[in-house]
Amino acid sequence: MSLWVDKYRPASLGKLDYHKDQAVQLKNLVQCGDFPHLLVYGPSGAGKKTRIMCLLRELYGAGVEKLRIEHQTIVAPSKKKIEINTIASNYHLEVNPSDAGNQDRVVIQELIKTVAQSQQIQSSTQREFKVVLLTEVDRLTKDAQHALRRTMEKYMATCRLILCCNSTSKVIGPIRSRCLAVRVPLPSTEEVCSVLSAVCKKEGLVLPPELARQVSERSGRNLRKALLMCEACRVQQYPFSADQEVPETDWEVYLRETANAIVSQQSPQRLMEVRARLYELLTHCIPAEIIMKGLVAELLSNCDGQLKTEVTHIAAYYEHRLQLGNKAIYHLEAFTAKFMAIYKKFMEDGLDGLVF
Amino acid sequence: MDEYDEMYGIEDDYDQQFADELEVLAEMNREPAPRPRGETRVPSEGDADRLLRDPPTSEFSANIMVLQLFLNRLDTVTKSPKAKRQKQEAGVVKRLFDSQQIDEGAAATTRSDDITPPSSPEQYESTRSASSRSTPAVLDISGFAAFSQTPQRPAVAAAAASQCVLKRPPLDGEYITVTDSSGNRVYLRQKENTDGKLADPSRVPHLDGSLGLLAEPIEVLKEQVAERRHQQVVEESQRLSEMLSRGVTEQFGELGGLEEEDDEDEEGRRSRLWVDMFSPHHYTDLLSDDFTNRCLLKWLKLWDTVVFGKERKVRPPQVDRHVQNQNTSNPKQAAQNANFKTFKTKSQITEEILEAELDQYKRPKFKVAMLSGPPGLGKTTLAHVIAKHAGYNVVEINASDDRSAEVFQKRIDTATQMKSVLGTNQRPNCLIIDEIDGAPSAAINILLATLNRKDGHGGEEGGENAKKKKKKETVLLRPIICICNDLYVPALRPLRQQAFLLAFPQTQPSRLTQRLAEISRVQGMKADTGTLMALCEKTDNDIRSCINTLQFLHGRGQRTVDTRTVQSVAVGQKDQNKGLFHLWQETFQLPRLKRKRVGPGFEEAPGEGGGTQRFQHILLLASSSGEYEKVSQGLYDNYLSMRVRDPHMHIVCEGLQWLSFSDQLNHVIMHGQNFSLMRYLPFLSVTFHFLFAHAHVPRLSYPHSQHEATTRLQGNRNALSTMLAEIPPSVRSRISELSLTADILTLLLDIICPKLRPVNPQLFSTREKEQMRELINTMLAYNLSYRQDRTPEGQYIYVLEPRVDEAVKFPGLPPRRQLTYQAKQTISREMEQEKMRRAEQLMLLRNPTQAPKEKAKSTSDPKPSSKNHQQRLETIVKQTTVELRPEVDFFGRAVAPKPQRPVTSETGEKSVEQSMGTAVGNSDVWFRFNEGVSNAVRRNVYIRELL
Repeated sequence: MSLWVDKYRPASLGKLDYHKDQAVQLKNLVQCGDFPHLLVYGPSGAGKKTRIMCLLRELYGAGVEKLRIEHQTIVAPSKKKIEINTIASNYHLEVNPSDAGNQDRVVIQELIKTVAQSQQIQSSTQREFKVVLLTEVDRLTKDAQHALRRTMEKYMATCRLILCCNSTSKVIGPIRSRCLAVRVPLPSTEEVCSVLSAVCKKEGLVLPPELARQVSERSGRNLRKALLMCEACRVQQYPFSADQEVPETDWEVYLRETANAIVSQQSPQRLMEVRARLYELLTHCIPAEIIMKGLVAELLSNCDGQLKTEVTHIAAYYEHRLQLGNKAIYHLEAFTAKFMAIYKKFMEDGLDGLVF
Repeated sequence: MDEYDEMYGIEDDYDQQFADELEVLAEMNREPAPRPRGETRVPSEGDADRLLRDPPTSEFSANIMVLQLFLNRLDTVTKSPKAKRQKQEAGVVKRLFDSQQIDEGAAATTRSDDITPPSSPEQYESTRSASSRSTPAVLDISGFAAFSQTPQRPAVAAAAASQCVLKRPPLDGEYITVTDSSGNRVYLRQKENTDGKLADPSRVPHLDGSLGLLAEPIEVLKEQVAERRHQQVVEESQRLSEMLSRGVTEQFGELGGLEEEDDEDEEGRRSRLWVDMFSPHHYTDLLSDDFTNRCLLKWLKLWDTVVFGKERKVRPPQVDRHVQNQNTSNPKQAAQNANFKTFKTKSQITEEILEAELDQYKRPKFKVAMLSGPPGLGKTTLAHVIAKHAGYNVVEINASDDRSAEVFQKRIDTATQMKSVLGTNQRPNCLIIDEIDGAPSAAINILLATLNRKDGHGGEEGGENAKKKKKKETVLLRPIICICNDLYVPALRPLRQQAFLLAFPQTQPSRLTQRLAEISRVQGMKADTGTLMALCEKTDNDIRSCINTLQFLHGRGQRTVDTRTVQSVAVGQKDQNKGLFHLWQETFQLPRLKRKRVGPGFEEAPGEGGGTQRFQHILLLASSSGEYEKVSQGLYDNYLSMRVRDPHMHIVCEGLQWLSFSDQLNHVIMHGQNFSLMRYLPFLSVTFHFLFAHAHVPRLSYPHSQHEATTRLQGNRNALSTMLAEIPPSVRSRISELSLTADILTLLLDIICPKLRPVNPQLFSTREKEQMRELINTMLAYNLSYRQDRTPEGQYIYVLEPRVDEAVKFPGLPPRRQLTYQAKQTISREMEQEKMRRAEQLMLLRNPTQAPKEKAKSTSDPKPSSKNHQQRLETIVKQTTVELRPEVDFFGRAVAPKPQRPVTSETGEKSVEQSMGTAVGNSDVWFRFNEGVSNAVRRNVYIRELL
């Protein structure tokens, strides 16, 4: 409870620091009494979960914050036992079905149904529905999502779903149409800065605005990351200096170095080295999409205008293939090789232009 | 004199080395001797004559159609084509018909065998052709006395037949329609029986109301004919065997004999497989390696003592004689045999095995011989030939038989313990278990048990009561030869140790070619040696495959075979899995020959013809390997290290495009179980071949990368999930594995490494204490702790538990700042304390009713604890006094105090004890019982007393 991220997390809708109008809307939504299913989406570190917890508190009061972890064992029809951890209060249940891997459909079917089928006894004092919070819905298999469709409608009386994901593109249409979509965008740099300085003030520290700005930029406006970075800075050196080095996550540094290696030389040998680095990233549990995204971002910074569109195009192409296939390394390497080919051609053309 | 004794005396060790071989040859030569040549007759026309004369033909005055019908049925019943006899019979019938001038319709129905269709086409053809030829039957008519006895009868019958058989339905009277197989329909007029009865009253008594056409019941006739058949078969076989043996003695070779045989039944020749036709019948004809042959034979000869009961002594003189014979007659073989001196190491070992002592039952040490080698080298043939020549009756069990445990046991017992009493082959059995590598291990265990079976009491007595043993027959006393392709099948492992192993080497191409040339000459095909060599090469010296290919070409009407046909024909190739490395190598290497042949013109024509061939070759290899996943992994791991000129990276891009395509394909296959798409997977290898193949020998490595990556990923995952598992729910709900790795963990590790003064935590300032408290809170909240560990060098270090620091550490990056050992130790200790404190609080929270009481106790405790020895004594006293409980029985019910006296005494004792206790408790001196220290008796001494 002592990380700043956890310590200074707002607990109610009224205390949220940014997107206040959205907070007001959510409050109205609770008060009007007709609470729909929600699909909350937005980039990581934007405060989706915080907002959802605030909303739940608004719905049920402080009782939601009494959480407990339950280890559930579900037996699939194939007699395979699936173990999954759920976080629950008396009013809601939080599941990450993608923990179950391919068997997530069974989790959806069994777990949610049992919750949804149980009625609240004291409906006069309580809400008549419970909330099931599903996280990482975009990593659900299609089967599981289809299993969700009917459940959502059937148990509307006793259960509301709040789905939480990064992108709606992987959520099937039927589910999207059944939910009220709530987008939680990233806070702006200023908002991040203000949050940082507010936290530092509560901690009794003085944060130079330059450093705050630098942290927020480095973190890519990911508030969680920004706060952690700020705290890491604090550990590194206390009286903050404006030009202090902001610690970064290792994988980002590694990815940047990889991108530099690609740009500096284009040959099969270099491709081999890059492959080893990509493997390294993959084995550190970094999802292939994130690697792809980071790689493209780093590479694009080394490209000229016309080349940028081309690279973005091929990145999109290989990202799509990545989604269709199984082995991420093939597609990442294919993208790298393609980029190398394009980049090399571009450079040689440029040289020719210089010579003639 | 013993055979060996004699042989050791002689300088020429030829006899010694090849004794068994020579022996066999000698036996072969000797064999025809007991049967004088003049006595056995070649079956001639006279035989058939006699055969046909014997039967009760006096009553053959029956309807000719019936006879024909009967003959046809005979043909269908007897399987072996005895063309000669059929010829005669058919000829007779034909001639009789001819002479009677039967009209066409009747002839059609009778002659063309419609009434009972022939069993097989060849049979059909033989009768047909024979009847059309009608050559030898001229003198046979004399045999058919019955026919000539009543010359007018057939005429009458024929006339009647011509009246009866009509092409159109008769206008009046009843009739029967008969349709033959070709669709011709004739109509038989039904007549009153009176004519028939009048014509032949003699046969009526024989029939009991059945169709009265024959003088004797058909069963009797059948029996007689079958008997005749049997006789004929016996004679025929005798004649053949004699002819064959004569052929050998005259150095005629089997081919001559075969030729004769072939001339005799041309039809059979067409249908038989050449492999069977030309399979060797004698030891000398064997194509396989002589050393192997000889070893097996020698091993089999070791059994002679126990099987035939003959000592080796008996033989030497004969062997000697035949050695002479052989030496003069077959110098070539002698020279060949002499070559075996070159096989030193292996042969010596084998030799030793063969020279080894017999065991107590006079069996060789190894009870089983195991032949192993690739298919088509003649293992089965060798086993059969050798077993036959060693004088055994061969009993074969192969994969087509049921080899479940019980059946196998039964068959082994039958083969090894029984002996056929009836029939000509009263020879002992030799069991040949073919294709044993496919047998279930249960069956092999049974075989092993049979091998190791010991005679119950025969162990000590040894050879004395051999009779008894014979009676019991529990020990294995017959040789067993096992044949397998793969010697290293797991199921065979136990058997391998107990078997006389013989690995089959490749057949020598020269010998194979020679044999092939002979065969093709006999069959009238033209094939030069080069072609045949090419064929041998293509089939990897597989004899069976070579001969089959030849026959196939022959069957297609090709009479000349050249190298091109051999190359182009697709038969003769085995679908063998060559292994992954082979496939990868083929993929990444251009074929040598192709390049040489194309030579300088390689640039202009980048192998148009060669291209398709290469394409097909790689495709075949890849699809036969089947392990597409592994194959593509290997290609992926190795393609970048190929020496391909690719400055623009286009080729690499292309290759990767294909890789990702195949990955996509795989995903679809696995996801939708759409296995029909599998056929497109091997094309990846083909593409890679055309993209990356190079003339150099590629240096390939086994693809480990994917597996390594998976293992490491799993390790990191596990560390993360261990960490997540114990995180308290309030934090847990906010973090997922993804956010942990991507955002939190690296920074968190930084945060938990603050600068700490290397001093005792007691001396920390309040600010530092606060910092420490926060640090510990954080670590506890995120389920991190330090664990003392010992490095292999013996140093103690503190490592983070769970090892998530490994999960976020990347190689090549500057290492993160680490806390010192002391700092970690401090933190670890503080954390333990904090944990205990929290646990206590939790306890208090859980049962708040007990908490105040305990507190009260702890506060009240100090007062009386001034004299803790007293307290202790008091408790002891209490314990002793508290014994006065109501007595209960086993079920917990109170028992009435029966014995009154002891109770009183007990109470008395107790009171004494109690008083003693209090007395001791009140004094200043005390001791602890059983403390084990010398100063067990203690006393409080105050400083003031010493002053």
